[in-house]
Amino acid sequence: MDFDFTEDQESLRDAVRRWVDKGFGFERRHGIAKAGGRTREVYGELADLGLTGLAIPEAHGGMGFGPIEAMVVNEELGRGLVNAPYAHGAIVAPTLLSAAPAEVQAQWLPKIADASALVVLAHQERAARYRLNHVTTRATNAGTVWTLSGAKSVVPAGDEADAFIVPARNAGAEGDAAGIGLFIVAKGAAGLAVRGYPTQDGARAAELTLANTPATLIALDALPVLEQAVDAGIAAICAEAVGVMDRLTAITAEYMNTRKQFGVAISSFQALRHRIADVKMQLELGRSMSYYASLKLGEAPAVRRRAIAQAKYQLGQSMRFVGQQCIQLHGGIGVTDEYIASHYFKRLTVLEMTFGDSLHHLGEVSARMQDTAGVFA
Amino acid sequence: MDLNFTPEEQAFREEIRAWVAENLPQDISHKVHNALHLTKDDMQRWARILGKKGWHGWAWPKQFGGPGWNAVQRHLFEEECALAGAPRVVPFGPVMVAPVIMAFGTPEQQKRHLPGIMSGEVWWSQGYSEPGSGSDLASLKCRAERKGDKYIVNGQKTWTTLGQYGDWIFCLVRTDTSGKPQTGISFLLIDMKSPGVSVRPIIMLDGGHEVNEVWFDNVEVPAENLVGEENKGWTYAKYLLAHERTNIADVNRAKRELERLKRIAKAEGVYEDTRFRDEIAKLEVDIVALEMMVLRVLSAEKSGKQSLDVAGLLKIRGSEIQQRYTELMMLAAGPYSVPFVKEAMEAGWQGDYVGAAHCAPLAATYFNYRKTTIYGGSNEVQRNIVSATVLGI
Repeated sequence: MDFDFTEDQESLRDAVRRWVDKGFGFERRHGIAKAGGRTREVYGELADLGLTGLAIPEAHGGMGFGPIEAMVVNEELGRGLVNAPYAHGAIVAPTLLSAAPAEVQAQWLPKIADASALVVLAHQERAARYRLNHVTTRATNAGTVWTLSGAKSVVPAGDEADAFIVPARNAGAEGDAAGIGLFIVAKGAAGLAVRGYPTQDGARAAELTLANTPATLIALDALPVLEQAVDAGIAAICAEAVGVMDRLTAITAEYMNTRKQFGVAISSFQALRHRIADVKMQLELGRSMSYYASLKLGEAPAVRRRAIAQAKYQLGQSMRFVGQQCIQLHGGIGVTDEYIASHYFKRLTVLEMTFGDSLHHLGEVSARMQDTAGVFA
Repeated sequence: MDLNFTPEEQAFREEIRAWVAENLPQDISHKVHNALHLTKDDMQRWARILGKKGWHGWAWPKQFGGPGWNAVQRHLFEEECALAGAPRVVPFGPVMVAPVIMAFGTPEQQKRHLPGIMSGEVWWSQGYSEPGSGSDLASLKCRAERKGDKYIVNGQKTWTTLGQYGDWIFCLVRTDTSGKPQTGISFLLIDMKSPGVSVRPIIMLDGGHEVNEVWFDNVEVPAENLVGEENKGWTYAKYLLAHERTNIADVNRAKRELERLKRIAKAEGVYEDTRFRDEIAKLEVDIVALEMMVLRVLSAEKSGKQSLDVAGLLKIRGSEIQQRYTELMMLAAGPYSVPFVKEAMEAGWQGDYVGAAHCAPLAATYFNYRKTTIYGGSNEVQRNIVSATVLGI
């Protein structure tokens, strides 16, 4: 039992933090958000740091690091409010591709590692909510070629991506666990339409429609792979959320010490002090469960899924509380666009709704509950 | 980073588990697992069993007769005891006054008091709170006047937990009124059999006699019973609070009680009710998060690499969770929590239970546990402390 970071992990943290401090100030982020949220250039800078290859094996040009390094990086990107699709492109996509045939891995992983390709998961459908097994997009095999037909929603950085990993059904009914395949669809493929738009947190997403669109098969009956990749994504955004909350709490504490009303710093008022203490509570519970999520990623699927659901439920609660209360503690300046706090709040709000919100994951925890209790249950 | 305990720590846990299984009397663990009334004899029997093994002072260093365990080993010991259904060790002797005597007491005081605390023979009580001094403890008035080689003590202490069994009491007393309140307090050890000491019960909302008022009427205390220096008692009291560490979160007991809540919910037919089950699921997450926070503190203590200032958070969250599981147990039994049959909370009662035996103590425990967010520094005081850390004040 050990929660210290290694020296290498601390160096990685420092490298990301230095880049954020030097190259990604609030003005730059604000400018990107106001211009529509395009972040491919930022994503390229993360590649220059080697970060996009973090989870990719060295044989494919990556660093071959594990969940703890991913956690460290995501925390720092969260602290800097970096709006590039890092968890999606560098964590989720490589995990999905790990199930692909060797030649498909060789085709895509090196490009993902150096960010010449941004590949994102396009899994959400209109009626699926956050359920991964609800897939209506159809996959048809005509001879040697697969084609997909259907629609996918709110695909992260959808109109900036070079390819999409699309779950589609070649057998079974909408909610069945079996019969879900994973496919790669390249940008510009026949019958693929991409309609992009800005998101609430200063980034972009897109609606995808596929009409007999040619696709490359990753794997059939791949729901377990999809679950594993989404769980890795959840651990990554839990870590990002910790970074966002940590920084927002510090910004808020600083504001409380400088803002004066009734002739004194507002940090002297007990009503506000108790509120910031409650914020600190939610931050530390969230940090604890972020560690838990990353440390449990390697467990057997049933154990992993339960742990991830517990973590995302806690982080969801923490994110909403910390976001809302830090805005309240700022007063009027907190609800303006010009001041940084509202941007942290909006990022937290979007992260709660990424890969399942609190109610969804409470349902998962509840359904997976067993007689024993605790971290080692 | 590694979530798992080391093989050595696992082996240590197994050793503790085997010993507890062999030595914890079943009639006692039965009471603990079912929240039945524990007598003085139950508590002291377990204290003596631990004492014989040298574990009643399980956090003590070797030089004072303790096992010299590190933070992780202490945690594992506490967890194995809690999960097996051992009674909570009455902390006033081994956890509270003993570390103060070790750090600030004279060799004579150490020789005189520590063996009786370790063996479980001598029952200690705590004399801190007064009727006018709760959260503002430093305003305490109980007076000790130096007369030759004695102190003459006059005044009143209150909320003295299990003081009706006390042989000795450690008190914060006022020895100077000239300066700031904190600078005129001394730490005094008082034999409760001394003439002028009287103990009066306070009956709590659950009908139980758990706390007392203790009155001092011209009680003569030998000056040799002063710990450390006169007027430095506040420093020693703060040292004591810092010594309580992670076990204030009580997460091990919370895990045991969550399992009990699930059993009760099943028996009462609400475990499959989504609305109720989700409340248990939320508590489940709360407990995992609290346990992770405790493990982070233990890891930091073990490696010494990072300091985590989350003690206030542990107390707040731990006490909220304790209240929540008692609340959900009571709500699970629903109308069968309403009957107040005191005999049904005694082990071995042969009467007719209303509903089921497990329903009998639920409301009483719920009522009793409102204390957890009040004692040991109320949660509002803890929030003040936490906020001072966050704000850097």
